[in-house]
Amino acid sequence: MPADQLSKTFKALADPTRRAILARLQLGEVSVLELAKPFDMSLPAISQHLKVLENAGLVARSREAQWRPCRLDAAKLKQATEWLDEYRRFWDGSFDRLDRYLAKSQTKNRKDKA
Amino acid sequence: MSKVKASTPADQPTVTFEREFAAPPEAVFGAYRDPDALKEWYGPDGFTITIIAMDFRVGGLLRFTMHGPDGTDYPNRIMYRDIVPGARIAYRHDSDVDDDPRGFEVTVTFAPAGAGRTLLTMCSTFPSIEARNAVMKFGAVELGMQTVEKLAAYVKG
Repeated sequence: MPADQLSKTFKALADPTRRAILARLQLGEVSVLELAKPFDMSLPAISQHLKVLENAGLVARSREAQWRPCRLDAAKLKQATEWLDEYRRFWDGSFDRLDRYLAKSQTKNRKDKA
Repeated sequence: MSKVKASTPADQPTVTFEREFAAPPEAVFGAYRDPDALKEWYGPDGFTITIIAMDFRVGGLLRFTMHGPDGTDYPNRIMYRDIVPGARIAYRHDSDVDDDPRGFEVTVTFAPAGAGRTLLTMCSTFPSIEARNAVMKFGAVELGMQTVEKLAAYVKG
């Protein structure tokens, strides 16, 4: 995933209102009006949050229907999670190799001293 | 079974890996400091690295290219922020571009763990606790999603 995309995903997820919006959208498509109902927030404020989620690719808005329903786009979230898994796998592998390298060089040191 | 223990403290925006090595702290530290050693162990099996420049001192840079098993090259840059010989290295890691949003702050500590052994702790800092949680699997649970796969399936459906 390109660097700026990952950063956008992180940033979009950092806000509790935006995470609540994502949780709501998990249940299905809704209009902005309906989405705003449970929040103690103005419609423009909710729209602003939606814009951040849209820019991060986490939410898509249909252009077909006039009420422009919002829906969750989980692909980017999945990419961010996979990226973290990869990071862990990367270090798992590196540390295994470091372990083998150290075993080899420790043995060599002992031989050199002997 | 992985020998690496990963942890995510509730009050810090970090991901920490811990791993023990059967070598003293000086030796493990040495494997980070010596470019020939780095070439031998950095990256999982199948990866190789080419070191372009290494200036191991506070403010100095390590620039290297990582070659993936599929032939993809990844530029890397490390800027050393703090070095305590045999004990600690702190650095910023990015992909060799300025203001890289994917850059990470990393601290590696080498602690004695009994006769000739070392406990290595690698701590990477995220932009915020919430951002870290949200990308972790348990962050997905917080959102009411059991797994990210379930989420993906939902979107497809």
